[in-house]
Amino acid sequence: MNPDRLSILVIIPAYNEEASIGFVIRDVRKFAPEADILVINDGSSDRTESCAREAGAKVLTLPYNVGIGGGMQTGYLYAKQMGYDIAIQMDADGQHPAEELRKLIAGVAEQDLVIGSRFLETTSFRSSAARRMGIAFFSRLVSWVTGERFTDTTSGFRAAGRKVIELYAWYYPTDYPEVESIVYLKRQGCRIAEIPVEMRPRTTGRSSITPWRSAYYMVKVTLSVLMSALRRPLRRTAVTE
Amino acid sequence: MAIYVLSVFIAALFLIFVLELVRRQKLREQYSLLWILFSVVLLVCSINVHLVEWLASKLGVKYAPAVLFLFGLLFCFAFILHLTIVITRLTAQVLRLTQEIVILKEREAAGEHGQNH
Repeated sequence: MNPDRLSILVIIPAYNEEASIGFVIRDVRKFAPEADILVINDGSSDRTESCAREAGAKVLTLPYNVGIGGGMQTGYLYAKQMGYDIAIQMDADGQHPAEELRKLIAGVAEQDLVIGSRFLETTSFRSSAARRMGIAFFSRLVSWVTGERFTDTTSGFRAAGRKVIELYAWYYPTDYPEVESIVYLKRQGCRIAEIPVEMRPRTTGRSSITPWRSAYYMVKVTLSVLMSALRRPLRRTAVTE
Repeated sequence: MAIYVLSVFIAALFLIFVLELVRRQKLREQYSLLWILFSVVLLVCSINVHLVEWLASKLGVKYAPAVLFLFGLLFCFAFILHLTIVITRLTAQVLRLTQEIVILKEREAAGEHGQNH
């Protein structure tokens, strides 16, 4: 296939994001007009679906809330079945600027997965001390189990090539999937690189990480990272089945 | 002696109840095996009380019924663990089905409008 004509799918999982989803889609269409946009509407109770369709995206509406991992995997499964070369995941709340898409697309030519990192260079990203500590903890944990340096393992701004699309369609962690999904790919022998990106502070909606959930988040993600590191790589025959 | 008759009666009733559930297809054979095993053990212990006493003395347990509680509890733990394993598998299957259906619906709708990728 001609490298200039790679088919690109931008996957945007959304749960009650009517306030921002239209802006995010228009932003993507402006900066990456060649990409198809797929919104995974994860059982929203607001107008997320119609807002996304009006802005010109394809929408898959899940009949009930399956959580971020199950929703994200739906996008990868779609990308695999439709034969896309590149799948890009980005948030529906506007934190990931579409200007940065070009960097991800360029990066994934050399890698299996490219992660947009807020911490490789000094960017304008700011957040609470507790949140930064959590992010730093997971980056060190993943760097330790994979033997490779990662700075922003919780970033959900990523581009995946065909190999990763296939692997994620086969297995994707269910809740709080970002961190474990890196370890899983390293166990399968994938090449992963981080590239510096700018991110915006969220303007609408709330973070899904409330104080009550953060304890569960820390314990669950730590356990799944360690378990993932102990798991044997899948046989390729199982994946390409 | 009344408790002896009663416990045999209850154990037999339980075994019949489990088998009846399987016959009416309210319980899968797969999941009924553990329950059948449990009710047979219950029945044997009820019929032969000395079995429990013998086991207790072998294990060095002074209060024989404690052996029953121990094995009863262990059985419950094993069965609950088995159930959570089953739920995990079912959750994964339901999720995959949901994903496949949603994609199928979208592809069908796209096909109707003649705009295949």
